Amino acid sequence: MSTRSTSLPKHLHDAVVRWREAFIPDYDFLLDNWDKHFPNDPRFELCAYRQLGMCTEIECGELKGKPKANRACEMVPEQAHHLLGAIRAQASTEFGSIQQHRLTLARAQDEEEQFWILRMMAEELRHGYQMLHLLAEDDWSSVSKEDSTQMIEEILSMTTGSHLLGAFNIDFDSFVDNVVFCALIDRVGKYQLTMQRQSAYQPMAESMPQMLREEAFHLAAGVVPLRRWVTSAARDEGFFTMDMLQRALNKWMPRGLEMFGDERGGGTNVRLGLKPMKNAEAQRQYREEVEKVVRDLNLRYLRARLPQLSLAEAPKTLDRLVGAPQKSTPETASQGADTSYGSLAGEFNPQAGVRPEDLLRVPDSGFMRRRGVPAFQRVGTAGEVYGDLQAYLHHLAAVLPEAYRSGRDYKDYVDALGKVQRGEMTAEAAAAHMPALRRVGGACPCSKSVRWVIDAAPAIDAPPGQAPGSPAAAGSRDASPAPPAAAGA
Amino acid sequence: MGRGRFRASGVRGLECRLVTERPTSPGSPDGLRIRPLGDIDITPISGIDEKIAGRYRPEVWERQIGYYLRRDPEGSVVAELGGEVVGFMLGEVRSGEFGLEEPTGWIEVLGVDPAHRGKAIGRLMAEALLAHFRELGAHSVRTLVDDGAEELCGFFSSLGFKPSTLRPFVKTL
Repeated sequence: MSTRSTSLPKHLHDAVVRWREAFIPDYDFLLDNWDKHFPNDPRFELCAYRQLGMCTEIECGELKGKPKANRACEMVPEQAHHLLGAIRAQASTEFGSIQQHRLTLARAQDEEEQFWILRMMAEELRHGYQMLHLLAEDDWSSVSKEDSTQMIEEILSMTTGSHLLGAFNIDFDSFVDNVVFCALIDRVGKYQLTMQRQSAYQPMAESMPQMLREEAFHLAAGVVPLRRWVTSAARDEGFFTMDMLQRALNKWMPRGLEMFGDERGGGTNVRLGLKPMKNAEAQRQYREEVEKVVRDLNLRYLRARLPQLSLAEAPKTLDRLVGAPQKSTPETASQGADTSYGSLAGEFNPQAGVRPEDLLRVPDSGFMRRRGVPAFQRVGTAGEVYGDLQAYLHHLAAVLPEAYRSGRDYKDYVDALGKVQRGEMTAEAAAAHMPALRRVGGACPCSKSVRWVIDAAPAIDAPPGQAPGSPAAAGSRDASPAPPAAAGA
Repeated sequence: MGRGRFRASGVRGLECRLVTERPTSPGSPDGLRIRPLGDIDITPISGIDEKIAGRYRPEVWERQIGYYLRRDPEGSVVAELGGEVVGFMLGEVRSGEFGLEEPTGWIEVLGVDPAHRGKAIGRLMAEALLAHFRELGAHSVRTLVDDGAEELCGFFSSLGFKPSTLRPFVKTL
C-alpha cells in the first residue's frame, strides 16, 4: 500500500493558506505543541494524498466491470455532472466545518479535547484541499461554465450560511456542539467517504483512504469526550448535564440524516457507479450506528452512577429504564415511525437514582426534518406527531438548545413550518425556500457581498447543467447532483 | 488461545461495512468478520477486558482506542460474530525504536471473549493485522509476552513467531 502526495498550483495553494490564516488562527499554535499532544505522530502537512494500487474497475451500477475514469472527459456527461456536484459539496463541507468549529474552540474546558478539535480542523482543511486538488487537476468544462480556479474561489468564499448542506450553515453555540458535531456529523462523512471510495472516478476513489483514516480519529474526538462528560454528569461533577447533551443530539441528528439526501433517492449515483448504496440504506446504517453510540453513552452513565452494576446487569437495567432497542427499517425510517428505544415504558427507580429521562435518546428520524420524506411533518423526538403548530413549537422549545432557538436557522425553519401548516406552501417547496446566505455579487473570495437569499421555485428533477448545489437541486429526490446526498466533514 | 487478553509493549477505527473489512479464511465461524477498529468498539472492548481481568476500566480503553484511531485506524482490528464484538487486536507499524530502523509491525494488545475461545478468532485477527503490516512495508512483526503466559507463547509460536534476540530489561524505581 503506497500513497503519493501532491500540492495545488502555487496560486491556489497560497489561497488555501490565506484561508487557513483567516479561519484557523491557532494553526501555528497547533504545530508548536504537536509533539506535546501527539508525540511520534507524523507532523501535519497541507497536501493531497492519493492511494496507489486501488481497484481500477467500476464496482457498482450499470457500468460495473468497466475501467474507472481517470479524467472527467472519459465519463458520460450525467456521471461527470453528478461527480462534480459531489466534489464541490464535499469541499464545501470540509471548509464549512472549520468555520463552525472555530466559533467555540476557545471555550473548551480541557486542553486535550481542545487540541483534538484543533488537529481535526487542520485535517478537515487537508480534506478540503484534497477536493480542490480534484477540481484543479482535471478539466471540468464539459459540465461547468466555470473553470477550476473560479470554482475553487467560490468554495473558499463560502461562509457559515452559504454552504451547500444545511448542517454546515448552523452556528455552534458552545464546545458541546464541537464534540457532538464530531460524533454525529463527521459520522455521516465517514459513510460518504466510504461509499466514494468505490467511485467510478479513480482520482476520487484514490483520495478517500487517507481521508477515512483521519476521519476515524475525528469520530473519536467526539465520542471519547462525550463518554467522559456523561461520566462526569453521572457523578454530578463537571459542567455538562445529560439534558445539555440530549438537546445537542436533537439539534444535530436531523441535519445528519438529511445529509444522506432524500430517502427515496440515491439510485442515480448507484447506477452511475459513483456510490454503492442508495440514500435510505446508508441513512439506515448510519442511524443504527448512532443508536449504538448513544446506548454506549447510557451504559457509561449508568455504571458511573451505579458503580455496583455488573457488566451483565448494566444492559438489562438500561433496557428496563428506556425499553429494549428496536432496529429501524428503511420503511419506518422514511415514515418517521421509529424510535430508538421504543416508548418510555421504563421504570422510575428512586432508590437507584436514575430516571428514564436522565438517559440519552436518539430523536426519531422524522424529528425536525426539513428535507426528505418526513420534511415539515411536525414529528416529535419520540415519533409522536403534532397536529397543532403551537404545540409542536412548545415541544421544540422543550427539547432544543436555547441558544440554537435564538438563531437564524431555527427562525427560518419555524417560518417555513408555519407556511406549510397554513397550506401556503408544499413541504418540498418549503425545503427549497429555506433562505441561504449567499454571495450575490463578484467572484472575489474576499467579497463581502453576502445576503440572505430565497431561491425561486424548486425543481424536482434537476436537469444536467443546473447549478450543482442550488437549493432547487437540493430539494430534488434523485437528480440532485450531490449536495444533499454527497458529503460530510 | 489462553488468557485471552495480554499486554505486550504498550497499548486504533473505522467501521466500514462496505469495503474495508478483510475477508476471513475458509473454515472460520459462520458470521465472523474481521474489520478495522472503530470508535464504537470502546464499550465492547472494555467489556471483554472486564470479563478476562475482572476490572471495569473504560477510561483506559477510551484513551488507548483514541490513540490507535489517531495513529492508524487500520492497524487494529476487531472480530465480530453475529454483530457482537468478540475479539480485538491492537497494533501499529513503527520505526526507529530500540535500534530497529526498518518499519516494524507491533502487536500490542489482544483479547478474545472467553465465551468464544477455540474458534481461531485470534489467528484470524492476526492474519488480518499481519497483512496490513505487510502493506505498510513492514518485513517483521514483534510482540512481547510474559514468560509465564505459556498459552500466549504457544499462540504466537503457532503463528510462526520465534524468540527474539532483543531482550527486555526492567529496573524498579
